[in-house]
Amino acid sequence: MARSMLVITRQSPWSGPTAREALDIVLAGGAFDLPLGLLFLDDGVFQLMSGQHAARLQQKDLTANLQALPMFGIESVFASRRSLSERRLDEASLALPVELLDDAELGSLINRYDQVITL
Amino acid sequence: MATLHLLSHSPFSDGRLASCLRLLCAGDALLLCGDSVYALQSGSDHRKALESIPDSVALYALDEDLAARRLDALPARLLPVDYAGFVELCCRYERTNSWL
Repeated sequence: MARSMLVITRQSPWSGPTAREALDIVLAGGAFDLPLGLLFLDDGVFQLMSGQHAARLQQKDLTANLQALPMFGIESVFASRRSLSERRLDEASLALPVELLDDAELGSLINRYDQVITL
Repeated sequence: MATLHLLSHSPFSDGRLASCLRLLCAGDALLLCGDSVYALQSGSDHRKALESIPDSVALYALDEDLAARRLDALPARLLPVDYAGFVELCCRYERTNSWL
């Protein structure tokens, strides 16, 4: 049985390559049918905003990659309810359906996976 | 079930510690290394936050990082470890979560 892994992504899409690298780990793992979860925490929730214009910064749009998650078999996608509400982001406006979790639920989520990495 | 959380950034310029403290579970542990040991600075809000985490969460710090930064007057609950202890902790807990 493959070991499960939770990737916690907590950087905005514009703060360097970290957000894209976290997503690449998840998509690559999904392509190999690894049991992976993805949690958006802190500024990582900004990745979920729809209608961003990456081309204005000569960057590629991360949202398209996010929307590929279900195609790669990644269905465990979570976000911190606190991180969204601190940033006044509305669940209905997100580019991707996610399961919102409270702080206490985040702790037990981490403890459900064999391996965890926070980027 | 338990997770060892590894922090290495100063909490005075970064939100990793604050986020980590919110998602600790009973049985989890926190290992401070590098600039994250500045969280133990006497009288600081971060020090108070560390002192108020439940006793069910163990608190470790890398001894040489404490000494290099002259962090003393440490809380009684803090368990200093050397690199061998660091490795032992990584093996003892079911998973580690490095806040990179």
